[in-house]
Amino acid sequence: MENALLSQLGIDWKLFLSQAVNFGILLLVLTFFVYKPLIKVIKERNKKLEEGLEKAKEADIRLKEVDVIGKEKIKEAEATSVNIIKATENKAKVLEQELQKKSEEKQLQMQKDLEASYKKQKEQSEELVLKNALDLVRKTIIKTVELKPDAIDEALIKKAVESVKHE
Amino acid sequence: MEEISLKAQQLFSIGNFNVTNGLFLTLIVSLILITFSIIIRSKVKLIPGKLQGAAEMGIEALLDLMKSTLGSMEAAEKYFPLIASIFIFILTSNLLGIFPGVGSLVLHEEGGGVVPLFRSPAADLNFTLAFAVISVIVTNIIGMVSVGLFAHLGKFFNFKGPIEFFIGILELISEIAKTISLTFRLFGNVFAGEVLLTIISFLVPYFVPLPFLFLEIFVGLIQAFIFAMITLVSISLHTAVHGEEHEH
Repeated sequence: MENALLSQLGIDWKLFLSQAVNFGILLLVLTFFVYKPLIKVIKERNKKLEEGLEKAKEADIRLKEVDVIGKEKIKEAEATSVNIIKATENKAKVLEQELQKKSEEKQLQMQKDLEASYKKQKEQSEELVLKNALDLVRKTIIKTVELKPDAIDEALIKKAVESVKHE
Repeated sequence: MEEISLKAQQLFSIGNFNVTNGLFLTLIVSLILITFSIIIRSKVKLIPGKLQGAAEMGIEALLDLMKSTLGSMEAAEKYFPLIASIFIFILTSNLLGIFPGVGSLVLHEEGGGVVPLFRSPAADLNFTLAFAVISVIVTNIIGMVSVGLFAHLGKFFNFKGPIEFFIGILELISEIAKTISLTFRLFGNVFAGEVLLTIISFLVPYFVPLPFLFLEIFVGLIQAFIFAMITLVSISLHTAVHGEEHEH
């Protein structure tokens, strides 16, 4: 009766076994040709993605660090430049003062030199004038003597002087 | 109209072995899947093409589903080949069974009868019974391996008390019932679909069978999914230790 029921339903142990074996073969083929290689590739890709994300995160952190370092360096550079400018200004002021002092001293010295030179020239010119005047007087007197001494008058002296001048 | 037969019809014999139209289509489905496997295997790359991309999408979706049922990705990857193969094989068989033209090819017998060349594999009880038996046996073997032989058998043969003993017997009966229900659920749905399509096509050959075809595509998909999910849940139940089961 049992066999008749199975026969009516079409159940045959050979067909049953062939279906089972067929599925077993397919399971093996799919496992080794599809599932394993694809799961391996998926894992590999996910690993690479994770590594990439991690590296990106690290790069982000490093970038922030570099940014902070850069800002600090800029701050330091600003502070240094301000110090340099201040130092240069101070140095310039000192130099300016020194130069001013030197120029004042030089000016004073030049003034003194000029005064001395003027004085000397004045003395020389006075001496020369005096010498010339003496020469003139002496020559005038000699001329007067050469001319008629008793006719000494104003016109005569003038004439003598003119004569000396022409000489 | 073709004669509606409950069992698969014989096409030819190889010695003592009768090849039925159900088995014939099963072999064709296997060949198609093996061909696709070889094509996919030869084109596996880190940067996927369309075919590999689609296959990977399906694998990832099923792995996620299995992970949520089994609790870990490790377990999901371990049992993935069985569940995925059951799903793919049943789905392809169901879809190919209602493929236009498949039902039209017939063999004329000497007595004047007509035998369809192809029959949807799941409309043959040998196919569904083989899958059900494989599902139940493999899930029990997985249970034995993961919780231990005696712990697993202890679920069915428990002598701690009369109630535990009775529950054990019920568990044993439920395994047998599961085999029968898996067999006849799939067979019933697919066979009924085939009968429905045959009758509708006979009554109104044009346009009217179209919605029923879509319905059968949906039924084929759902039945393959149900079969795979029942197997998955069985694995989950058999691999859970007793303490965990009570906690749930």
